[in-house]
Amino acid sequence: MTEEPYRWLDAIGNRREYIRDQLKGGTPVFAFSRPEGILLVGIGHGMSKVFEIYDRHALAALGHPVDIEKIRQAAIEAAHMEGFNRSAEDVTLRRLISFALSATLKNSFEQIFSPPLMVEAIFAELGPTSGEDVLVRVHYDGNHHYETSGTLLAHSDPKKEEAAGAWLRQNLKPNDPMVKVASACLTAWQALMDDKPFTDLSLPKEPLLQLDGKTVEAALLDRKMAGAVHYRTLQLNKLKA
Amino acid sequence: MNGDFLALLPKNPFAQLPAASASAHVPLQATTVFAFHCAEGVIIAGDHRATAGNTVFSDKTEKILELDSHSLMAIAGVPATAFEMARTLQTTFEFYRRSQLQGMSLQAKIRALSKLLRDNLPGTLQGFGVVAPIFAGVDTTDRESKPAIYFYDPLGAQFEAAEYAGSGSGSGSIKAVLHFLEKWGKPRPSEMSLAQATVLANRLLMTAAEFDTATGGVHPERQLFATLKLLSQDGIRTISIGDQDRCWQEASA
Repeated sequence: MTEEPYRWLDAIGNRREYIRDQLKGGTPVFAFSRPEGILLVGIGHGMSKVFEIYDRHALAALGHPVDIEKIRQAAIEAAHMEGFNRSAEDVTLRRLISFALSATLKNSFEQIFSPPLMVEAIFAELGPTSGEDVLVRVHYDGNHHYETSGTLLAHSDPKKEEAAGAWLRQNLKPNDPMVKVASACLTAWQALMDDKPFTDLSLPKEPLLQLDGKTVEAALLDRKMAGAVHYRTLQLNKLKA
Repeated sequence: MNGDFLALLPKNPFAQLPAASASAHVPLQATTVFAFHCAEGVIIAGDHRATAGNTVFSDKTEKILELDSHSLMAIAGVPATAFEMARTLQTTFEFYRRSQLQGMSLQAKIRALSKLLRDNLPGTLQGFGVVAPIFAGVDTTDRESKPAIYFYDPLGAQFEAAEYAGSGSGSGSIKAVLHFLEKWGKPRPSEMSLAQATVLANRLLMTAAEFDTATGGVHPERQLFATLKLLSQDGIRTISIGDQDRCWQEASA
């Protein structure tokens, strides 16, 4: 039956619909390339969404926890093998995504008799300056794109993702303090959750740095951190204005 | 998934070195390294000299290697093998921490080095790959715990050093002085401030260099000092040449 091309296309279409439906419950994750480094934020009920991958690399993802874990492990393994066999400088997102992760996701998506990987993710690579940072949006089917604006989010609804991204880019300037970035991020998150339109949304007068009943998880790929490892966790509510 | 980088490695091997033969090759050696407790933590130090037979191969060798934020390895023996062991451990510790979302325990780190030494048994027996390292680490899960010093024999047996440890051809005289000072010194090395311990470490290496041609590279008058690191609960601090010079000048005044 699936040997027939149209049936295969049908099955793929159903699979895409199924994955999108399953991802609806996921909450968005964010990445911001700033002069201090790359800020990654995830908000939820205690389940981790932001992870260290390698010395200058991090991941923020939404989706099924088991699938996030599979992608995280695959990325960590590929990065460490490359770093050990060559050098830490040779671990780049472009190679990691193109040769290791994207192909894995695409294969998983198209093998219709095996369970799909239900993940929407952002990968970040810290450069010497914010202009050299790399942010990549990776989808469940292996499709991915490189974001050059320095602001990126992943959400299960592409239209809302686009609207929130545009609002954040419009309201954040390159040298805004981290407090403002964090506040804008949580404001956008809240608007996405409440299904509010971004056209009327404005930044709060008092910085919004925590959300009642939610766990705000943040990490910074810190540009100024001494040594090889640049990843450190961050408590947004302790950021100073 | 058990966070074991060494289990992952054979699945994706890089070009391996051809099997070595025990020919008339003169192995490169690195000496001398030592560690002792001071009031602020553990001082771990080494000279800069690498030799091949009676030839000075380099006077700029770094023998104190940071494995992660809270563990160090001082190498004595064949640098090619020792550097590779350090690199393997660096990746192993970070791989475990990142993949398992928790740091490796101090005991596991100590055993990891022991296992690498045991796996190097053929090289050790043939004489071209002997490594006798010192390991210093601290348990980060217990803020009250103090840094520990371990020394190893080339076959992988590990021993905790209560006060000090030394390795390499120049370590005999250093251990003798440290034993004397720990027993009758005022202050004892374990009671010394960082400044006092810095001066002591350099003096020990200069003493070792008097009796061992394979130890060298410490000449305060030429601003050449030991590689010196302090390990404490706060992590690793490298004592810079400038700081060592200042301590040396103050002690000499």
